Amino acid sequence: MTAAEVNSSEAKISPPSRSTTGSANVTKRLQTELMTLMMSSTPGISAFPNDENLLQWTATIDGPDGTPYAGLSFKLSFEFPSTYPLTAPTVLFKTPIYHPNIDFSGRICLDILKDKWSAIYNVQSVLLSLQSLLGEPNNSSPLNGQAAELWDKDPVEYKRLVLARHREDEETGLGL
Amino acid sequence: MSSIPSRRLSRASSRAESTFSFHSLPASTAPLALSSPAVTHRSEPSDFVRRSNRHKKIPVDVRTLEYLEPCDSNLVCLICHCPFDKAVRLACDHVFCNDCVDQAFAAQEGSAPKTCPTCRNRVDLNREPLPVPRILMSMLDELRVKCPNHKAGCTWADKRSDAQDHVELYCDHAQVECASPDCRLGVLQKDFHKGCLHYTVSCEHCHTSMMKKDLEQICPNRMTICTSCFIEILRHDLPSHLKEECPKATIMCPGSVCGCSFAHERTVVVAHVTTCPMATMAPFFQAQKARLDEQESQQKLLQRKVDILEGGLSNIQNMLYPANTNPNEPCPVPNPLDPNTIDYASGPLPGTPDFRLPAAAFPPASQPTVDQATAAGQPPQPPFDSSTHHLLSLHESLRDEVSRIANALTDLEGRTNMMIINENQRVKDEMLHTNAAINSMRMQLHWLTSARLQAQNRTTGGGGPGSSSAAGGSGSSGSGASRAGGNGGGSGSAGAGAGGSGLGGGVTLHPIRRLSDSNRQDTKL
Repeated sequence: MTAAEVNSSEAKISPPSRSTTGSANVTKRLQTELMTLMMSSTPGISAFPNDENLLQWTATIDGPDGTPYAGLSFKLSFEFPSTYPLTAPTVLFKTPIYHPNIDFSGRICLDILKDKWSAIYNVQSVLLSLQSLLGEPNNSSPLNGQAAELWDKDPVEYKRLVLARHREDEETGLGL
Repeated sequence: MSSIPSRRLSRASSRAESTFSFHSLPASTAPLALSSPAVTHRSEPSDFVRRSNRHKKIPVDVRTLEYLEPCDSNLVCLICHCPFDKAVRLACDHVFCNDCVDQAFAAQEGSAPKTCPTCRNRVDLNREPLPVPRILMSMLDELRVKCPNHKAGCTWADKRSDAQDHVELYCDHAQVECASPDCRLGVLQKDFHKGCLHYTVSCEHCHTSMMKKDLEQICPNRMTICTSCFIEILRHDLPSHLKEECPKATIMCPGSVCGCSFAHERTVVVAHVTTCPMATMAPFFQAQKARLDEQESQQKLLQRKVDILEGGLSNIQNMLYPANTNPNEPCPVPNPLDPNTIDYASGPLPGTPDFRLPAAAFPPASQPTVDQATAAGQPPQPPFDSSTHHLLSLHESLRDEVSRIANALTDLEGRTNMMIINENQRVKDEMLHTNAAINSMRMQLHWLTSARLQAQNRTTGGGGPGSSSAAGGSGSSGSGASRAGGNGGGSGSAGAGAGGSGLGGGVTLHPIRRLSDSNRQDTKL
């Protein structure tokens, strides 16, 4: 997609007459999402806006049982563009995590956060997708090749590395 | 646009007279003006036509409306999370708002075929989106919403399909264009008939300048009408009027503090009070409560003081009886609050023989201590005006006492030390005397022994020169032995005596030498 195309598509997304209602729609949608998240309280996931900025959220997911991530919890950051929900939010792992599809700075390789994004996805569905990604990594296109190899070969060593990487966070957390 | 300010200026000056005339009007015209618009406007059939012309044709944004009750989740668009606005259906039977699905398609990759946001089915833009079933439309239309101007004060709430008509035709709080053809500013529908209000006036009541249209809302010194009793009153005084005077305002019975639940208009409540027993008792209860509160706060203060003083007292006790570390052991003083029981006479305490502290006036301890005080020949102390004062004075005097005892102790210690030193000196002197006496006694003993030996030698007669030289050798060896040990002198002389007993020779010289020998020994000691 060239720059001109991007401009034209964005112009279509937010025509001049609705430019103000566009951002209002984002806030309104995020408010309703927050309401449903608080009301439904899905086990293992939670999310809340950062102070005074509804466009930036901090979320936590618990590692699913029966995976090497069981019993660990991971922090994520959400950043919503002004065109949300038409374009995907930027999601990053803030807790260091050892996973085939997540690199060491927390970037996630997940199709629904990139080209397969759809406007019907929301914070809850993204968090649930990430939670299931922990238990079922896509080892055919890894960001962390070593992890992808170890996943099938040596589950014990994999688990040890997962715990070691997670402990880094606790150490830095204590240092802070 | 640039011409507007100048136009407004000229208008302001041309209306200056009318502004002044308004100021001079009595304030009672305000209620008339307030009540008029609805009546006059609704009565004219041609007014709707005029109004629909001047109304700014802004379509109501359904997504910003507030719904009276939470909406069924099946009627909510998955993209904007609001009840469907102009719902449309795709071939896969997924329903969205018309605008939402358009925007979603626009956001999808340009060249690729558009897909359904929910199931990613391909969408044929020539055929889709399709209309939704009528039943869904009617369900959406029947959702009940509040007026978009409800924050401005409109209380209308009804079907969503009627919202647009309400705002365009009936809502008194909708913004319409100003009546003056020159003015571009908006005005609330209910104020439309008053003409253009967009010029600055100075309020005669509070002397701030504001737009004419804001005059009634903002200035606290303007007259307004009480909503309960419909009398005219300053806006500023309205809250106090409702609270204290208004005969129609609903208030609680004054007996509510004791549990009366009667609440009615003020006039009815006044009549009720004469018969309500709880209202009659309420003032007493309130007075009692106030007194209780006061007492409680005072008691807390006193409690804190007593705590502090008790801490100080126990500290002093610990200082006085450091050995008594076990708190369960009986204290040497039977009553720690009465310092008179301490036996001062037994210790030599200068300056405190007639030191007496007042006995504690606490109920449990008062009886025995007063008896003791009277037994000691002193009149009982007048009672202190508060136990705190007593404790304070007790504390003070005990502190004095402790410092005095400490002084006496150091004094005593100094004197004891001096006494010990003196005594030591005397003992030393005496020992020297005794030593000297013992030495003189020994010298006398030597002299007597040697004199005795001489006398014996003289009676037994002289010996050969060899024997005399042998005797001299034995004598010299004896003197050497006497030099080595304390008792050597005695044994040497005994040896000399034994040597001399059988042998003679050089007898006149020997005793003298031995005398001088023993003398030398003595000076060495």
